[in-house]
Formats: sequence, C-alpha cells, structure tokens
Amino acid sequence: MIELKNVSKEYEGGVKALNRVSLKFTEGEVVVLKGMSGSGKSSILSLIAGLCKPTEGEVVVDGKHISKLADHFATSFRRENIGMIFQKYNLIVDLSVQENILLPLVPLNLKNDELEKRLNRELERSNLVSKKDIQVKKLSGGEQQRCAIARANSNNPKIILADEPTANLDEKLSLEFIASLCEMKRENRTIIIATHDPLFFDLDFVDRIVEVGYGKIV
Amino acid sequence: MSRVINFYLLSYSIGSLKREKYKNIFLFVVISLLVALLASTFFLSNAMKSEYNTLIDTYPDIVLQNQKAGVAATIESSIADKLLLLDGVKNSEARVYGSYYFNHADSELTIIGVNMFTPSCSSFINDLMQKHSLHRGEILVSSNVKNLFNNYYYKEYFNFIKSDGSLKKMQIDEVFKNSKNFFNKNTLVMLKSDARDIFDYKEYEARDIAIDVANRDEVVSIALKIKRLYPHMNVITKEDLQVEYENLYNFKSGFFLTIFIISFFTFFIIIYDKLSGLNGEKRREIGILKAIGWRVGDVLNAKLYEGAILSLSGYLTGIILAFVYVYLLNAPLLKNIFLYSNNLLKDYTIHLSVEYETLALLFFLSVPIYIVATIIPSWKIATLDADEVMR
Ligand SMILES: Nc1ncnc2c1ncn2[C@@H]1O[C@H](COP(=O)(O)OP(=O)(O)OP(=O)(O)O)[C@@H](O)[C@H]1O
Ligand SMILES: [Mg+2]
Repeated sequence: MIELKNVSKEYEGGVKALNRVSLKFTEGEVVVLKGMSGSGKSSILSLIAGLCKPTEGEVVVDGKHISKLADHFATSFRRENIGMIFQKYNLIVDLSVQENILLPLVPLNLKNDELEKRLNRELERSNLVSKKDIQVKKLSGGEQQRCAIARANSNNPKIILADEPTANLDEKLSLEFIASLCEMKRENRTIIIATHDPLFFDLDFVDRIVEVGYGKIV
Repeated sequence: MSRVINFYLLSYSIGSLKREKYKNIFLFVVISLLVALLASTFFLSNAMKSEYNTLIDTYPDIVLQNQKAGVAATIESSIADKLLLLDGVKNSEARVYGSYYFNHADSELTIIGVNMFTPSCSSFINDLMQKHSLHRGEILVSSNVKNLFNNYYYKEYFNFIKSDGSLKKMQIDEVFKNSKNFFNKNTLVMLKSDARDIFDYKEYEARDIAIDVANRDEVVSIALKIKRLYPHMNVITKEDLQVEYENLYNFKSGFFLTIFIISFFTFFIIIYDKLSGLNGEKRREIGILKAIGWRVGDVLNAKLYEGAILSLSGYLTGIILAFVYVYLLNAPLLKNIFLYSNNLLKDYTIHLSVEYETLALLFFLSVPIYIVATIIPSWKIATLDADEVMR
C-alpha cells in the first residue's frame, strides 16, 4: 500500500512540480501515470522511491513514512522494496550485463550461491544468458531495456517503478516490455508506470490510469 | 558500512579502476616513482648520517692544528708533551698520518703512524697494537688494502713513492680486519718514523696534536686554554667537527629540498585533480547506485577500496623500488650527490638499515591523503538527492 498525502514538491529555483497531490496505490495494482511533459510524473516516482523529499505532505509506503526517513534508512527501504526502471535505462554501460544485474545486490553481501541463483533467474527471464559477459554499451536498445528490467528485479522488489520505460523502444520492443510487465503483475507486484505512450492506455492488465496535469491529479 | 570486507564491493572497486585503466596506471606509476625517489633519498641520507656519526665517535676530543697562511701546516711534536701537563688532559698525541694515493688502483689509502710504546688517542690503534707488533720497515694493513695490493701483485712488499720520487720498500706484515666504518676501510699502519719518511716530515714534526680530556664537560674550557697558549693555531673540538659534517650535510639538503618540492608539487596536482570533482559520467553513476539501493556508506566504501588499492600498491611498489635501488644496486647516481669524493664512492656499500620512521612518514604522506582525496568528491555527490538520475 502506497499513499501520498497532500504532497507538494518544489525544486530549487521555485519550480512547483507537484501541488498538494493525494494518491493511493494498493498492493498488486498496476497503475499508469499519464500526463504531459513536465506535469510531475517523475517527481511522484522519485518521492515514492525516497530519492527526494516532499516540500510538504507525507509519503507512506507499507506503513513507513518514507518522506520522514533519513537518507540512510530511505535507501535501505528502497533496496529491499523497490525496483526502478528508467527511460534512459541508467545502466552502467562499461560494465557487463551480469555486473549490472547484480549491482543492487552488491551492498547486501549475499552468499555466492544465492547471488548465482538470482543472476541465472534474471538472465533467463530477460533472455540475456548468452550476453551475460558482454558490456552493456554493446547491446541493442531492447537488450539494454531487458537488462534494466532484470536489474530492477534482482532484489525481489514488491514495488516496480517505471519511468517512460518505452520512450526509446520501437513498437515491437515496447510490446515485449509490456509482456514482461504482465509477468511481473502475475507475481503480484505493485507496478507504477509513468508514461505518455498510448500503448499503455488500453491494456487489460492495467488496473487504473491516473492523469497528472501541472502538478495536480486530473 | 558492513563490518567484514564485502568482496563484491571490492571487485566493483577493482572494476572501476580497470574501467579507467590508463589514467589509473599513470597515477600508480607516478605515486610509485615519487615514493621511490623520496624513500631512496631518505635511505641513503640516513645511512650516510650514521656513517658520519660512527666516524666522529672515533675522533679525539680536541685537535690542535698548526696553520701557515691559513693552510694547515705541520706542528711540532713536542707540543704534545707540554699539553699533557695541563690539568684535565688525559692523553695527548702528536699524530702522523695522511692519505697516500695509490695510482695503480686509483685509490686513496690512509696511512696511520704509531708508536709502539706510547698509547694513542685512538682506541682502534691501541687495540691493534696490543695484538700486533711493528718494526721499522713493516706495515700492518687492513684486509681491504691487502686485497687491493694483491690485485696489483704486491704480495709481501709494497713500494711507496716518496716526495722526492725515490721508492720506500716496506714489508707487508700482518692483516687486520676492516673497520666497519667505510671511511676507515683503506687503512694501513706503520711506525711514525716510517710515516714521516713517506710524508716528508722532519723528525720533530707531526700533522696535528690529538688531545683526550678526562672529563667531557671540560672540553670547552681546556680548548680555550690551549687556544690561549697557541693563539695562532687552530683548536678543533669534536663538537666543531660534528657541526662541520652537519653543514656539509645541510649543503646536500638543498638537493633534498628540490626533491621535496618537486614531489609535493606533483602529488599536490594529483590531489587537486582528484578533489576538483567528478565528471558527468561519474556523477550519474553514483546517482544510479543510490537509486538502486546503495547507501552513501556503500558508495564511500567502494571509493575507499579504490583509493586504498591504488595508493597502497603505489606506495609498496615505491618502497620496494627504493630498497632495490639503494641496497641492491647501491644507489647509482644518487650516491654521487652524497659522496663528494670519487674514492669514497667506489668502495662505499650501503648497509641495510630499515628506518621505520621513514617508511611511516612516507606512508602517511601518501596513502591516507590519496584515499581521502578520492572519497571527498564522491561523498559530496552521494549525499545529494539521487532523483537527478530520473531526468
Ligand atoms: N531536480 C530538479 N530541479 C529543478 N526542477 C526540476 C527537477 N526535477 C524536475 N524539475 C521540474 O519539475 C517539473 C516536473 O518535472 P517531472 O520530471 O516530474 O515531470 P514529468 O512529468 O516526469 O515530465 P516528462 O514527461 O518530461 O518526464 C518540471 O517543470 C521540471 O523541470
Ligand atoms: Mg519524467
């Protein structure tokens, strides 16, 4: 359960990205945030992930007041509960596929076989087994996005936050991505997608579409 | 930060170093060379310092030197007997000694003249005279000199060339062990009368007068007394000599200073470059790491490993290079700067002595500073909000 209560976000320089927004997401729900560029979609995701703090209001995730946690604890929460997928993939392009997938697990200092298990699971699911030692910068756009999804899943998150995940993909790859979202939904993850890609607007597994406009929910 | 070493984090750090291979290899080489340069200089200068100190220990408390026109001249031997009458003087000796240039070997020998029955001011000579006896026309040589002579087929006799060009044939009698101090290595001992003959001194002449004092505290007052008795002569105390050597040494330290300034300047540039911040790529990477769940501490730990691996390996390599250069290769080039005379140079081997202070000093000047300079810029980025990666 994720709840934004009267949340405002003002960035330095006085840009008001969100203005007293209240939103609720229940567990296992798939929600699409749509809206024009600059409407504040990414800001909502950042707040849920605890990457930044609201200027006003509260963000509560699974009973935790994310917006009040110190950075150290917000990060711990994020690494246990949240997987993030970005528009620009945000992979470390000089590292190999498997290194990228394992990156969220590095600070956890897990046992080797546990690591191995998760790596193989994600490699198979993302169909990247044969590319695991290849540097990410040598992959195609679709492969990079699959690698980004694999990385977001490697820490078994309950919540997946995806920001414009298909902006750099053609239609075929976008549909591939949507298929993998569908699979994640079956694993009962909460999924929030910020996008203006119309492909997302009539999908049967999407529970709700929320329109964001100029810092408000429309 | 986790308590045990996180090997995944460590391998991430190694990976980061590899990703900027050329830059990091360059930094490693520069750090190694700087440490090697400074360590060699320290090793060599410390070795020299201890050589000087052991040498000075063997000196008499006071030396009286005659001079003519400001240049050292021979002195009358009888002055030694007069000085013996002064209160507080334990022993005084009219010394006959000097260097002799052995041209075949291009080596300088030190000839020391002795009397069989009167004690010398040098404990080394006194010890020697208890074990060996000397007659006219005989020399005692150190094993070093013995080898030198052997090399030029002087097995039983050696011919000294006197100042008038005539030869003086001396029998090589016994061999004593080399003194540990390298300044005394090429020593040979003969009766004073023979030494006078070689150096062309008159019978009543000596090179200088050595005076030993009963009570160390009285050295200065006795030196003053002697100066009053012989105002035109030079009175040199052991302490004066120490200062003289130190001056010689400080003169070399101009060279030191240059090395220090160059090293620190180079290191400063490296540190400044590190501190001046991270490029966009690196900033983004830290943002990504934070977004996927790395804490500030994890990021800093990774940087700590990175800085430690590079600076520690650079430091250790530098120290090893310095050891090899100074102790195995005997410090070619650098040695020339410290030892003014070519003759000293040739025979000088540096004794291994590990100065932990030097090692520690260089460690603290390099490793922690480098690590901190690696961490600070990342720390600045890591503590910012990570939502910039969203854009
Ligand atoms: N770190 C920041 N500093 C200053 N202004 C920011 C920052 N992040 C976002 N903004 C501003 O806040 C507003 C909302 O930005 P946000 O990224 O949430 O919009 P968005 O709906 O995701 O847009 P897009 O569809 O283009 O990704 C924009 O006007 C943006 O310029
Ligand atoms: Mg956005």
